[in-house]
Amino acid sequence: MKRAAPLLVTVLIALAPLGLMDPRTYLTLTVAGLAMGMLIFLVASGLTLIFGLMDVLNFAHGALFSWGAYAGWSAAVLLDRRWGWAASPSVTANLGVLVAAIATAVVATLLLGVLLERVIVRPVYGQHLFQILITLGATIVLEELIRILWGPNDQVMPVPLSIQGSWDVWDVVVLRVPVVAIVLGLVVYAGMRLVLDRTRIGLIVRAGVENGEMVQVMGHDIHRYFTGVFATGAALAGVGGLMWAIFSQSVRPAMGGEQLIFAFIVVIIGGLGSVTGSLVGALLVGLSYNYVAFLVPKAAIGVTMALMVIVLLVRPTGLFGTPR
Amino acid sequence: MTVATPSPVAQARRAERRRRLQDPTLVLRLAVLAVFALVPMTISSFQVTDLLLKVALFGTLVASYDVVIGYTGIVSFGHAMFFGFGAYAVALSLGKLGAPTYGHLLAGFAAGIMLSALVALALGAFSLRVKALFFAMISLAFAEFALILAVQLSSVTGGEDGLSPALPGVFAVGFDGGRVLGVALGGRLITYYVLLGVCVALFGLMSRFVRSPLGRTLQAIRDNELRAEALGYRTFAFQLASSSFASVVAAVVGGAYAMWVRYVNPESTLGIPIMLDVLLMVIIGGIGTLWGGLIGAAFLLAARTLLPDLRALSAALFPNVEILQRLSERWLLYFGILFILVVFFFPRGVLGTIRARLSRRVS
Repeated sequence: MKRAAPLLVTVLIALAPLGLMDPRTYLTLTVAGLAMGMLIFLVASGLTLIFGLMDVLNFAHGALFSWGAYAGWSAAVLLDRRWGWAASPSVTANLGVLVAAIATAVVATLLLGVLLERVIVRPVYGQHLFQILITLGATIVLEELIRILWGPNDQVMPVPLSIQGSWDVWDVVVLRVPVVAIVLGLVVYAGMRLVLDRTRIGLIVRAGVENGEMVQVMGHDIHRYFTGVFATGAALAGVGGLMWAIFSQSVRPAMGGEQLIFAFIVVIIGGLGSVTGSLVGALLVGLSYNYVAFLVPKAAIGVTMALMVIVLLVRPTGLFGTPR
Repeated sequence: MTVATPSPVAQARRAERRRRLQDPTLVLRLAVLAVFALVPMTISSFQVTDLLLKVALFGTLVASYDVVIGYTGIVSFGHAMFFGFGAYAVALSLGKLGAPTYGHLLAGFAAGIMLSALVALALGAFSLRVKALFFAMISLAFAEFALILAVQLSSVTGGEDGLSPALPGVFAVGFDGGRVLGVALGGRLITYYVLLGVCVALFGLMSRFVRSPLGRTLQAIRDNELRAEALGYRTFAFQLASSSFASVVAAVVGGAYAMWVRYVNPESTLGIPIMLDVLLMVIIGGIGTLWGGLIGAAFLLAARTLLPDLRALSAALFPNVEILQRLSERWLLYFGILFILVVFFFPRGVLGTIRARLSRRVS
């Protein structure tokens, strides 16, 4: 019962606005909220995994988000300019753009993640102050590199034609991009749970979260796993960035920094180190933001803050967090 | 009859006082103060005066940040927010309550101090209770929220355009105090000296704070929180006191900054860029040195005034290579690289490294 309580509260919050608006608006907002939540989840899950396993607060996560967006953007623009894949009505070509963009974003941020872990993070394990400072320095450098390589201005993201627009389900407008985001988020969550719960690698990673020294004593090179987890977290941020770029149809150098704050709030709400916690936290933030933005537009900015404050008051370690 | 022997604490205090008077850096500090005091009299260039006072103001701000990060061991990303609170409180009080008076000025400072203290207490109560590490994330969220609020509430704060308050009495631009010792005493110069006095007073206060029993306890908590807790100190209360004190100092500096620049907008007082500047300054100057903030501020502000020349130079030399233009434009990139290098190779910063060298030579 105690474990189910946060889930119950989430469901209740998701259903509460039903009394304040007509069901169709409610459904549209819910889809948008779930999509936003899933996008934030992609970013927050990487963050929480890195923190849970390595005890590293990675402030460069936002910059990796932007890098993923820009890498995917480059691939999409290239394919669209050369062959017109994004604008063509062919579903295969559209899918090709989407897959190529995601692949490029993943590869680029994976490599960056490995590089960051090896060069920047490894020397400062166990020193929180220096971790925060050094990943912040990396953020500045990475963001400025984006401005140098791709220019400082906003760019328009080419969105494949078949995921533009909306479906009409029983008179309810369901935008397509959010649906893609929700599916992708669910796939990532399922994949993470599968790897963490059912595989040997997941077992070692979870053991590393519990007691890293012990895992090392058992003969596993924990540093290799650290690199792997860091790179995976970076790739998740990259995919999140790309999806956000498609969602908002644009890329900006500073886009990561803004999302990082959302991700931090989600991680705090969900509990540091818990993947399920960050999913629930992200959905909570996404849904409540959308409902409040519709009901009381002016209060939308405050709602995530209020959510965080309430959770911290009731449960200082977050919904699924354990005191460490 | 027993002879009243001084307690160990009193003995330590006496030794400390003796050492402080013999401290060779006392002369150095007075020399720095003399430079700040005399240069505006002799060189009547506004650029130089402006740079000097900004170094003094940011040096004080960085020192107050050092109290949090260096002496208490908490990483805060909300320090610029308190600076912004002070700046906005003074600007609003001078600009929105009719003709500016000294009373409005004082009320502005008082409001900034109160607001900062309250927010700092709330911020600390939410985050420090769990883990000092939470402070970094939650303070960042608070700062972002404050920034959004300042932009959104444009009817009060002027939104992105900001506020440009006028100053009362002797601080007004048009004030003419005649000539004193051959120096034209305008409103600007008076403001300069008053604000310099504020900086000196704040520095004295902070230096006193970190040497006080409270400050010593904070350093003990920073070095080993578990041990301090085991010794019976309520670490949470001490950390809360320190972060609130530093926030109040930051608010006063913010008010002073608003008085000098006479212009306040979200970008230049509340934003993340200011926070990054403060972080860079504290890292370069040296964490846990208090006075290093002046070095960091002087370096960064001087570099910033010189860098546009670099851009012009590269534009003149290679007018056709676009990537070079962009490379020379993005000075923040170099600060970022410098930041990482300093954290890696000189984690104590300029002043900390010098101090370590000197103490090794002495012993």
